[in-house]
Amino acid sequence: MLLELNNIFKWVNQGGNRVFLLKDLNLEVEEGEFISIMGPSGSGKSTLLNVIGMLDGFQEGEYKFLDESVHAMKEKNRSKLYKEYIGFVFQAYHLIDELTVYENIETPLLYKNIKSAERKALVADMLDRFNIVGKKDLFPAQLSGGQQQLVGIARALVAKPKLILADEPTGNLNSNQGEEIMQLFKELNQEGVTIIQATHSETNAAYGSRTLHLLDGRRDHK
Amino acid sequence: MIRNHFKIALRYLFKNKLYSILNIVGLALGIAAFVIITLYVGYERSYDKFEGSDEVFRVYMDYAEGGNFVPGDAQTYNLSGPTLKKEFPEIIEQVRLYRLEKVTFVNGEKIIQQPNGSLADASYFKIFDHPLIEGNLSDFEKPNTIILTKTLAKKLFGKKQVLGKSLEVFDGNGIRLEIVGIINDIAQNTHYKTNFLISYPTMNTWDMGNNAKPNWSGNNFFTYLKVAPGIDKIALRKKIMMSDFEQDPDERHNIEAISDIHLHSDKPFEAETNGSLSRVRFLSAIGFIILILSWLNYVNLATAKSMERSKEVGIRKVAGAQRSQLIVQSLGESLLLNLFAVALAIGLAYVLLPLFNNFVGKELVLGLSNLGIILPYLAFILLGTLVSGLYPAMVISGFSPIRALKGKVVASRGGVNIRKGLIGVQFFATVVLIIGTLVVSQQISFLGEQPLGVDLSQLVALKGELLSNENDSITRQKSVVLESELSQLPFVKGVTQAKTYPGDGYDNLSSNVGITYPDGTSNERLLFYLYGAQPNYFEVLGIDFLAGKTYLRKNPGVHNFDIVINETFARIMGFTDMSEIIGKNVKFWDETWTVTGVFEDYHHFGLKSKIEPMFIGDINWAFGTGLQNVLVKMDATGLSLSVMDKNLDQIQQKWKTIFPQSTLDYTFLDKKFEAQYKEDTKFGAAFQLFTGLAIFIAGLGLFGLTSYTILQRKKEIGIRKVSGASVLQILTLLNRDFLKLVTISFILAAPIAWYVMNQWLQEFAYQTRLNWWVFALAGIAAFLVAIISVSFQAIKAAIANPVKSLRTE
Repeated sequence: MLLELNNIFKWVNQGGNRVFLLKDLNLEVEEGEFISIMGPSGSGKSTLLNVIGMLDGFQEGEYKFLDESVHAMKEKNRSKLYKEYIGFVFQAYHLIDELTVYENIETPLLYKNIKSAERKALVADMLDRFNIVGKKDLFPAQLSGGQQQLVGIARALVAKPKLILADEPTGNLNSNQGEEIMQLFKELNQEGVTIIQATHSETNAAYGSRTLHLLDGRRDHK
Repeated sequence: MIRNHFKIALRYLFKNKLYSILNIVGLALGIAAFVIITLYVGYERSYDKFEGSDEVFRVYMDYAEGGNFVPGDAQTYNLSGPTLKKEFPEIIEQVRLYRLEKVTFVNGEKIIQQPNGSLADASYFKIFDHPLIEGNLSDFEKPNTIILTKTLAKKLFGKKQVLGKSLEVFDGNGIRLEIVGIINDIAQNTHYKTNFLISYPTMNTWDMGNNAKPNWSGNNFFTYLKVAPGIDKIALRKKIMMSDFEQDPDERHNIEAISDIHLHSDKPFEAETNGSLSRVRFLSAIGFIILILSWLNYVNLATAKSMERSKEVGIRKVAGAQRSQLIVQSLGESLLLNLFAVALAIGLAYVLLPLFNNFVGKELVLGLSNLGIILPYLAFILLGTLVSGLYPAMVISGFSPIRALKGKVVASRGGVNIRKGLIGVQFFATVVLIIGTLVVSQQISFLGEQPLGVDLSQLVALKGELLSNENDSITRQKSVVLESELSQLPFVKGVTQAKTYPGDGYDNLSSNVGITYPDGTSNERLLFYLYGAQPNYFEVLGIDFLAGKTYLRKNPGVHNFDIVINETFARIMGFTDMSEIIGKNVKFWDETWTVTGVFEDYHHFGLKSKIEPMFIGDINWAFGTGLQNVLVKMDATGLSLSVMDKNLDQIQQKWKTIFPQSTLDYTFLDKKFEAQYKEDTKFGAAFQLFTGLAIFIAGLGLFGLTSYTILQRKKEIGIRKVSGASVLQILTLLNRDFLKLVTISFILAAPIAWYVMNQWLQEFAYQTRLNWWVFALAGIAAFLVAIISVSFQAIKAAIANPVKSLRTE
């Protein structure tokens, strides 16, 4: 078992009302799964990913990651945990504009205090694997959207995480580029990386091994 | 990691050129101004500090005035030093210096007039740190010996060996002095400038009258003491003040530390006009204010700009960055930016220093040699950098990653308030500085407009030194001939002679204490001033008589005890009807004098001082010897410079025919009078310059903050425009907040500025009023600066097409 969410509640207070973002949510994820989360805008897809990614907290319920209780952890240990095991891919790629492709991919390694020589090797592996060696000195603005997302994925993968969280990874791409990215995810999954993606598209969701439907912050079992 | 941070910082700086330039230029200007002011202040504070200067004191005289002792004279008697040394074992050395304003040396064909010399005891070298580099000190005990600075020796003799050579001095007696020593040039940061020293015993061979004999009657000597290390200096000072060797209840001796003289002493008969502590303090304050302003500016700009980097911070956090790592990164960036600014500032200071030197008349140097002065301040600059970098770092590192990535980072209310507070402080300081500038320039123009009671325009003073041996009475006769010759020139309206004149300071003025009034009462405590002039002096200078008239010219050699006094003096003597004193007698100097006239008060010392009681008597009798100032009043044709040159040529020709072997100097009286406020005028200009700088920096800050506010309110502006708001309404909206801030700053700044400037004005005996319009003007100026810096960007935002700003949402 990679992670386990039990009876997660997350809400915000708006005016006098309590608005639920996640309501009594349960989820178990085994290593090697490829899960797609679907649902309309505002159904809580991103919130769920953020909770799983430990970027966001919740009010009630428990979260176990590799049998450790995340909800009881201190901020510092939590960030250690996700630094070690989780990679993020975003819809808007979120590359640092002032850094080159190479440097963008290198960033997570810097924060893991990995030695320079090893960093070089790891980044070179990524560049190779995604066929972007020739682009390593370019800045994000000089790349197409698909290429930028490749860099985003390379950055998410470079630290060898167990889990990739992807929030609408193809949302800003055309269908060709989108398909390439999904193909890539599939390959990664076959290599053993666990993937959870949020998506609007049935086609993309189909790449996953199972699909989780969300509506108004709860699982929609229909 | 550091390399990664460094790279991104550089790229960021280059990418955001406007931001970087605003920031670096603002900081660099602030730091450069601070460095220059620091150098200036350091220089002013460095006066008379040398090896052992802590043990060196100057003796001066206090005079009793209205029951209290006040500093009365920077100079003392020739008995003062030796007596004090004998009486107080704490005093291990004393030196007497008789100051020679100007001496003309002759070496063969070479005639060189040299200022700043003294007759000095040989003990000079045991007190001051100027060892002989050539020669033997024991030779300086002999009369007619002289010690020169290296530069003067070179000027007089070239590169030749000078020891043992002799020099002629033109004082009318053809005295020769043997050169017995050479010293290194003495730095200019001393209150007592020295180019040459003549041995004290020389006094006996020169015709120096009373000065050569030990006495308690002529105080014309600067006296310095060296005390034993570790003694109780306060106790010694008390003992000296209590002593009464000269047995005069109206005077007492007093001492002051030599290093305090330049900034603390402003006594009559100083060796030179000293500096002003209040000016130094004002400038230090301005320096610090400007530096702090530029940091506030930096904090504001950096914090505002950090909003744009929220995405990067979000990504880094998601990639595993800890808050401390992000703080270090941000601090590193501000350090880098500050480093650029410091480098630019040092370059700027280096380039501007010669201009500044020229302006203040100092010899400030920016180099390794005076690193000591700068170093503590560099540490201060570093600390400030760190502190000013910390706030933006805390803000930027505190972003929540999810919000940051969504681009939804909005400044917290507290953060906005802090930045508004910073802008408020900037404007507060700016308003204080603007009011200060206005008051200073108002005071300076006020001084210029004050009626002086005397007309100095088109008046030139001729002062020469004879290079031939002539006795006094012949010189006097010739000078009278010169007077009449000059008055025949067509452009000359009047000619007279006087020992001194308004604006000449204390240099040639005598002072006296002790007088018996016409009603027989005596005042042994009143200090009054006196000098000699030709009877027509008052007519030529436009000094009016309130009663009586000028004294009559008597034949040479005939006693002339007729004098005139100023109105202040007559009132002190108790007269309200000026005509009553005419023909009455007063007694001083053991003589009886008859008052023939009361002249209207005029400003002899400039408007910093009150009008003092004053006598003027016949120059041909008791008040002058040798060749005095010949004052020539010219007509208005001289207003044209070329005509003035020709006129001066003609004057010079007349002079040369009567005194063929002589030097001649011109002084324009109005210029010299104004020069008394030279330091204040410069201070005013410096004040203006630095205020301008402060305003500019505050403007930059506001400019930066507006661009950020507009960025944040882009959508709001778009919606308002779509809803029908006009450009003007948008502008008002954007300006309103800042104007509120400026108003509050103004309300707080005005009373403080009023208080500070009122203090400054106390330095002047005649002060301009602090008008309400000065404050109004400062307020308006601050408003204008705010509106201009805000509107620069606000207009752009207000006229932008709203569709664009709404589409990006």
